[in-house]
Amino acid sequence: MGRKILFITTDQMRYDAIGANGGRVARTPVIDSLAANGICYDRAQPSNVVCMPSRATMVTGQNVGTHGVWMNGVPLPEQSASVARVLGEAGYRTALIGKSHFEPLLDPFLRFGENMHAMRGETTGTHGFEYMELATHGAVGFNHYAQWVQKNHPEVIGGFFQVLDRELEVSGVPGGDTGAPQIKVNPIDPEWYHTDWVARQTMSWLDSIATDDDWFCWMSFPDPHHPWDPPASEMHRVNWRELDLPENYVEDRAAREAIIDAKPRHWRKWYDGELVSNYEAPAKWVPATLTADQIREVNAYAHVENELIDEAVGRVLAHIEAKGWGDDVDIVFTTDHGEFQGDFGFLFKGPYHVDALARLPLIWRPAPSAVQQNPERVSKPVGLLDLAPTFCAIAGVTPPTWMEGKPLPVTDSDAEARGFERSLIEWDSCQPDGTDVHCRTILRDNLVCTMYRPGTMHDGTEGELYDLIADPMQRINLWDDPSRQSIKADLLADLFDNLVESTMELRPQAPV
Amino acid sequence: MATSRSQVRINRHPDDVWSVLRDPMRIVEWFPGITGVSMDGDVRTIVMASGLPVNEDIVTIDHRLRRFQYKITGPLPVSFHLATMDVIDIGTPDAPESLLVYSTEIVPDPMSFVLDGATSTAIANLATILNDHAEERS
Repeated sequence: MGRKILFITTDQMRYDAIGANGGRVARTPVIDSLAANGICYDRAQPSNVVCMPSRATMVTGQNVGTHGVWMNGVPLPEQSASVARVLGEAGYRTALIGKSHFEPLLDPFLRFGENMHAMRGETTGTHGFEYMELATHGAVGFNHYAQWVQKNHPEVIGGFFQVLDRELEVSGVPGGDTGAPQIKVNPIDPEWYHTDWVARQTMSWLDSIATDDDWFCWMSFPDPHHPWDPPASEMHRVNWRELDLPENYVEDRAAREAIIDAKPRHWRKWYDGELVSNYEAPAKWVPATLTADQIREVNAYAHVENELIDEAVGRVLAHIEAKGWGDDVDIVFTTDHGEFQGDFGFLFKGPYHVDALARLPLIWRPAPSAVQQNPERVSKPVGLLDLAPTFCAIAGVTPPTWMEGKPLPVTDSDAEARGFERSLIEWDSCQPDGTDVHCRTILRDNLVCTMYRPGTMHDGTEGELYDLIADPMQRINLWDDPSRQSIKADLLADLFDNLVESTMELRPQAPV
Repeated sequence: MATSRSQVRINRHPDDVWSVLRDPMRIVEWFPGITGVSMDGDVRTIVMASGLPVNEDIVTIDHRLRRFQYKITGPLPVSFHLATMDVIDIGTPDAPESLLVYSTEIVPDPMSFVLDGATSTAIANLATILNDHAEERS
């Protein structure tokens, strides 16, 4: 009998969302206890700051240029590389319960296996998984949670925020007390909400596993990704009127806009509502209209969602303990990408490789029966790219050569010895109107450098360079600073030395 | 308005390709994800695999140009749509070959990604079917 693996992900969660990383609002004692008994990574980054490319990296252990999922709406082929397939071949039982998003969600022709299986009521896995029960944000669409709600509690469907409008654009309909976009008071019973459903189905699947079986279970919560519509009965937990504003929100409008204006032009274009470079950001919403109270209210909803996730994780861990597996389970907790949540005056995400979107919570609590782990914090850059080889290492399987990451380090000295020096992020987007944005980012030596390739928005000369020690809020763009040109050139050379370039045609199969 | 275009080369005489495309009812044979089709005059109703029906007006069946055009009229939230399939002769008497071009103009814009993904897959599938038949015949 080997080590079992519980892989827990959230969706669009900030690094500072949890107490272990300095979060001061949402109470996350269960996740914090994992950090207190394991390794907490302070510079974990995705390979891309939207869902599908990032999740494809998690399951394949490959860079975007290798797995080819360069944006939402681009499917990961069913027979692609998969850590689940590797573990399955090593004798592990494998399941993914919750949000997968390896394939497009908007799929009326049911061209993709995830959607087709769910619509047929099948739990057949795809992408190497033996078992799948899928959910996403809300109770509509081609997934098991939506089917379950429609069958058992159809009256609650309208309580969720309706994401798409009549023009198939992502809606920014205002809600709550402040009129913030994409928040809604949802009268749903918490037990019927997707967070509880994911935990419940996870426990149910674990109950189907023989005691001596090894297993790899990816429990994937759709929250706190927008829309923000948690059960109304839980909103008493956080009073938005009492919240401080995010540290990286500059209240003075002129000062805020001066910071944005020092960044590449697409920042200001989006702020003024002249550009949508990410389909998921409401097309008609103008960030410049965002008020301080709206930021407070959005944050309150997100904090409530994070508390519900923490409690759901606690129930699953108690269930695992009751089954006698507690000491034999490695637990890895992370998310696919971050969320602005008010930083710089924005919500949502897009081609903006700053900490709000690119710095992720990542915790690894090794199985106590296998490792006497002292609590550690690793400051060197690691990536979601490193998860798949880590799962292989836990299972005692040599990571296949097609995996491009390395098993996660357990200390900074381990990271240094094994060459964890840099982390790369990629972005390519092509909107239906022809607007495209392409950028590449390297994090190394506490410097973040992003270059923008020529497209309809940029001419190839723009970029961002931030010194994370002197300027942790990433407000001062050093790209054009004469004293930084040498280090900038070095970072860009390093970026292109390590970048896996894709030769794929940039042609989405769906908007998301 | 968003526009998209897919094309595929098929190792068959244009008349062979056109014989499949010109018949509105034969779409279920080559378009993955369409599970049903019926005609009422010039109105075609297809049923997607998700169960969603889509009504289409057949606008053009031009045998001389080998051009087929249709418009989605509902119930998808489409305010304008025109799809055009052209079969172009690019072969020689000794080596017949066709170029199939499938173009779409649509409002709202996001719908173009959904349809473009499906149509590019569909014409690739049609090419596979016809090329396989060509190999069987030769």
